[in-house]
Amino acid sequence: MRFEVKGNPSYGEVDVDLGPNETLLIEPGAMSRMSSNLNSSFQRQGGFFSAMFRKMFGGESFFLGKYEHPDGGKLTFAPSIPGHVEHRQLTNNSLNLMAGCFLACTPGVNIKAKFGGFKALFSGEGAFLLEASGNGDLFFNSFGGVVEKQINGEFIVDTGHVVAFDPSLDYKITGMGNFKSTMLSGEGLVMRFSGNGKLYLQTRNISGIASWLTSRL
Amino acid sequence: MNVKIDTEGAFGSALVTLEAGEKFVSEAGAMYRTSSNMEITVESRKKEDEGMWGTFKAGVKSMLAGESFFLSSYTPNDGQSGEVGLAPTHQGEVSSVKVGPEIWICSGGSYLGSSGGVDLDTQYQGLSKGMFSKEGLVFVKASGKGDLLVNGFGRISSVDVSGGITIDNGHLIAFTEGLEYTINKAGSGWISSMMSGEGLVMKFNGNGKVLVQSHDPSRLGGVLGPLLPPREG
Repeated sequence: MRFEVKGNPSYGEVDVDLGPNETLLIEPGAMSRMSSNLNSSFQRQGGFFSAMFRKMFGGESFFLGKYEHPDGGKLTFAPSIPGHVEHRQLTNNSLNLMAGCFLACTPGVNIKAKFGGFKALFSGEGAFLLEASGNGDLFFNSFGGVVEKQINGEFIVDTGHVVAFDPSLDYKITGMGNFKSTMLSGEGLVMRFSGNGKLYLQTRNISGIASWLTSRL
Repeated sequence: MNVKIDTEGAFGSALVTLEAGEKFVSEAGAMYRTSSNMEITVESRKKEDEGMWGTFKAGVKSMLAGESFFLSSYTPNDGQSGEVGLAPTHQGEVSSVKVGPEIWICSGGSYLGSSGGVDLDTQYQGLSKGMFSKEGLVFVKASGKGDLLVNGFGRISSVDVSGGITIDNGHLIAFTEGLEYTINKAGSGWISSMMSGEGLVMKFNGNGKVLVQSHDPSRLGGVLGPLLPPREG
């Protein structure tokens, strides 16, 4: 499979050249154009309960769109919200994705929802996150641009701006400084990461836009 | 006449420079700047000889196409050159293509403007095609000779089609005459089409060019909608 991510950071989309019998699994509705010969079907990823769990708590779908053909073909897909599309090659490792950030993967990648612990309730992304593991290509998306950060030690991120992070990183929810600056800095709670690993951040937050719009409706 | 894509990327716009006597037409409301010597008139899309009835029919057709009822036309009025800047409502790219000998057919809402030598007409898509394509009941057909400006939500890609291509409904901007499309289910059966999340797609056959947009505004609406308070009344 050859692919090219185009249009980042505003309008990321992915052009894919599928080889013979290669399969790509895509978030439902994300296919924007393809060779007319490609077969499109659907597949439940993982077991029934795993898929149910992912739909209920992971902000994802029960089924994924499945695209393939004995002769291969071309396909382009894009997320529903404008922003950056990021690729990550998984080789027997895993990556934690925030709920709703999954876009596409090859069949060797398994996506499951997992409870992020009590602290995740305050992460601004819901109490559950997605764990992508296995072997293959993974595509995920953000709202706005993505900033990749190699963390070695401690790092602070505003809640609602994390897209993905390596499982080797841990975080806790804290205020920003003392009580007064937590309340008045406009930041509220933050995520304080520690450990060694990669962190993917998004430069915008869709709920920020939604609340700005709400105040004007 | 010079048609230039003035700003590229997420907030695309076009700048048109007109010599004396030249004319450019745009969707009403698309002008965001103009030199002071530009005479702006409003015209409806009609054929010359059809009179009032033609105006009425053209109005109804272009309302169905998702385009404004009226077009704005720009001509410098002092024998000097002038310029007019055009920008669409949505975020996204603006593209310019040549009309003639190619004839372009724009989906409802993608038309931004065209030079005076381009003839505009509306093409009814038929009820079933129009209802299911998400692109409007009526398309805008641009023939003659000149420049055509279109706008898209997100990136605009130009795809050369030989044989066929499948485009998800909601992503079409324009295509050249010679291509034909049918509305099809995305998969082999209805269940797989619905479950794969694509539902209906536009299957194009023939040879030509298609302009497509990277993103579908209705999908953004689907994400944003639930985050907003419900409509009152």
